[in-house]
Amino acid sequence: MSTKNILLVLSLFLLAAPFARGEGEISVKDPWVRRNPPGTSVTAAYMVIENPTAAADELLSVSCGCSASASIHAVEMREGSMIMKEVASVAVPAGISVKLSPGGYHVMLEGLSGDIKESVVLELGFRSGARISVEAPVLSPPAASKRGHRH
Amino acid sequence: MKRYYLPLAVLVLIALVWLGILGFLGTDEGTFHGDEFRRPAFDFSLTDHKNRRFSLSDHAGKVVLLNFGFTSCPDICPTTLGMLGEVLDLVGDERVIALFVTVDPERDTVSKLGTYIPFFHDRIVGLTGSHQQIKQVSDACGTFYSKEQETSGGDYLVIHSPAVYLIDPAGKMTLRYPKEKLHPKKIAGDVKRLLL
Repeated sequence: MSTKNILLVLSLFLLAAPFARGEGEISVKDPWVRRNPPGTSVTAAYMVIENPTAAADELLSVSCGCSASASIHAVEMREGSMIMKEVASVAVPAGISVKLSPGGYHVMLEGLSGDIKESVVLELGFRSGARISVEAPVLSPPAASKRGHRH
Repeated sequence: MKRYYLPLAVLVLIALVWLGILGFLGTDEGTFHGDEFRRPAFDFSLTDHKNRRFSLSDHAGKVVLLNFGFTSCPDICPTTLGMLGEVLDLVGDERVIALFVTVDPERDTVSKLGTYIPFFHDRIVGLTGSHQQIKQVSDACGTFYSKEQETSGGDYLVIHSPAVYLIDPAGKMTLRYPKEKLHPKKIAGDVKRLLL
């Protein structure tokens, strides 16, 4: 490729750049909830939060009609052992996707009202004021554990 | 320019052959996926989820995959149990079992484990006992557990090791899989090698 062509391609990229960012709204992809094993009333919800906007945002609240409480948790390692810690929010920087996945950030659903059905609706609130409502399918193993693999 | 093509092609070919040989050696000879974790042979007795006495020594000749958890754990415990279920299916041999040792015996009674465990796999054994008995097992694995803060729902969580420990057919702890090594296919590969 000649220098002229390279410059041409480069300038096209630079032209397109401002349009690639700051377009669209914050959104939630691939939400799912683990089916709670029999006899338990607690489980977790997972998703990918995409922020294509030019402004940083933050997930502040989650609620679900399916449970008495919903809280955001992160994993903390201490001397090789592991514990979940409740966090106030999850940062979603501009132009970044943040994953809530098994062994990482997750929404803990406590006090499930009976058996959850095929799907539940999660209501998410963001610092920007955005409110998103998503329908999350309920998965049992092995589908749930396949989704859980981080690779 | 043209006269360089043939030697270049030969060099590339040689490089590819070498990469192939190295790749083959890397996946085979002598390496387990799990971290080497050699500990003396040990035994313990707990109560299983069908209310029977379970002693490790009764399972000599089998590969035993052991992990700690509790049934009110929403994220890592069910993830690991689902993964262990996959390992059991991938190995497809009666000579491998998986154990789930509760670190929350107050809430995880025999009947609680009895409804919880079969959801994941019929060859996973749920185990409970006194704190003293459970601590013996976690000490043998070089780890610890303790009750932690209350959650917003009013329950408590228990800090515990997310690792899976492998006990070989001679009853010796041989391998340890930390959280980032919990891949069912690779663990199944290790188990199959130990059962050869």
